[in-house]
Amino acid sequence: MKRSLTLYTTLILGGIFVFLPFGSAAEFSFRDGGANKHSLKAYRWILEQPDFVHYLLVTLKLTVIAVVITILLMVPTVVWLHLRAQSLRPLMEFLTILPLVIPVVALAIGAQSAFPTWLQSTEYELSLMFAVLAMPYTYRTLDTGIAAIPLATLTEAARSLGANWFNTIIRVILPVIRSAVIGAVFIATALSLGEFTLTVLLHWDTFPTWVTSISQQNIVGAIALSIFSLAAAFLILIILNFTIFGARTKKVEE
Amino acid sequence: MPETVEVEIKGATSRGTLNRRNLLVLLPLIPIFVYLGAFFLFPMSRVLFDSFKSNKGEFTLENFQIVLHNPYRLAFLTSIKLGLVSALTAALPGALFAYLIEIKGSERIKKLVSSLSGVLSSTGGVPLAFMFIAAIGAQGSATTLLKNLGIDLYSGKFTLFSFTGLVIVYLYFQIPIMVVVFTPAVKALRNEWHEAATNLGATRFNYWRNIGIPILFPSFAASFLLLFANGFSAYATARAMTVGNVALVPLQIGSLVDGNIQVGGANIGKALAMGMVLISAVAMIPYLVIQRRTRRWQS
Repeated sequence: MKRSLTLYTTLILGGIFVFLPFGSAAEFSFRDGGANKHSLKAYRWILEQPDFVHYLLVTLKLTVIAVVITILLMVPTVVWLHLRAQSLRPLMEFLTILPLVIPVVALAIGAQSAFPTWLQSTEYELSLMFAVLAMPYTYRTLDTGIAAIPLATLTEAARSLGANWFNTIIRVILPVIRSAVIGAVFIATALSLGEFTLTVLLHWDTFPTWVTSISQQNIVGAIALSIFSLAAAFLILIILNFTIFGARTKKVEE
Repeated sequence: MPETVEVEIKGATSRGTLNRRNLLVLLPLIPIFVYLGAFFLFPMSRVLFDSFKSNKGEFTLENFQIVLHNPYRLAFLTSIKLGLVSALTAALPGALFAYLIEIKGSERIKKLVSSLSGVLSSTGGVPLAFMFIAAIGAQGSATTLLKNLGIDLYSGKFTLFSFTGLVIVYLYFQIPIMVVVFTPAVKALRNEWHEAATNLGATRFNYWRNIGIPILFPSFAASFLLLFANGFSAYATARAMTVGNVALVPLQIGSLVDGNIQVGGANIGKALAMGMVLISAVAMIPYLVIQRRTRRWQS
């Protein structure tokens, strides 16, 4: 009885901490003029904005590219490090953690003064940078995932049965480390969808920066948009988290 | 004699193949090195070099001298204070929450908490700022609710667009981060240690004083450092929340980058950035070192 009392108090306090701001912001977003009248006005207003779909698509496009870069770059690298270049793993671990140590603001000022004009005149530079920002997490996720499988045995088996390197990675290794790859995709996606600092300092407009600029003309609209994007992020991330988690525990149970 | 010759040849050939093999080993790693070099190390080294350059391109320490004086000095102090205060207020509740959930919670609750804190720790930024404006801003829903209950947030000098306001908003991602990074440490706390201590006659207080706290302290300190670095360098929320009334280094760098500045501001921005890198590194490097060490026995 005492046990569950402590637990419930903890959970209730945690719940208030999370849902009081979220819930009251949701209430605010339904306001129509005063605090007593509620409607879907702000949400209808969002849907009427032509920029809404535009910037949503821009952000989705940049995110997909960042995720593709991340996977193409990181999966072969980490597989190779474990297979043939174990001695370089500490170096790589150090290099990939650096984007976490360096404040994003500092990296933004560096990118602005170091990148050539042709690179700075395309929004795809953001995708390239998002992959860097996600690297501390994506590298570690893949590293842990690959360390957990008998990589050398699998590769030798595949190679001695006549598979080339491409087939070995795509058809043998990738399916085994699937949950780590999904984890890396999930982190890179979350980071790219919400990235604000680098985007705004490099003078680009994406969905998150559009929300800020809109707040100047319609604060309730901006709040509704924030609620929309937070709720969407919660939902997507929690579903992903549970499915990855579920798959992993099921495997262990077997 | 012939023996040594043979050995020498053997050594030479194996060294030769080793070198060729080393090159082959490095070949698949070239993409990642080039990528990190081009999009991370190159820009950062540019910041470093330019911070020592005057407007005319000569070597100078002047940028750093300027940065050490006001208004930048005040901004550094405020940013450090924001990092410290938000880390201090988040670390203890976060650690306690992680502990209670780990000890008392069922598997299902643990999973839910870990998913939710993972999500909350990564949803920072602008939506968060607007959410809090709607909740506890002057016209906010929670403000009205509390007022009806007899608590007036705005009876004193409180405003959300202030240092205190920023700390409150930062807690919304700082506490979940604490839960995420501190949970593994709590998980590693073995029940057997508590039982052994109790069998040997230790009280609850003895156990915590001599076993529990000394074991958890390194992880706690490491998590604190991470929270500090995070609160110190956060930009998005601060930018959306303050209208220039709280001086913070990231915001000042931002406005220098945006271009509304006096001549030669660009290299001052780089000196500011180097100052941030330095402070962030002072916190993050011990964090990473402690994490590495504790991970060894935690897993």
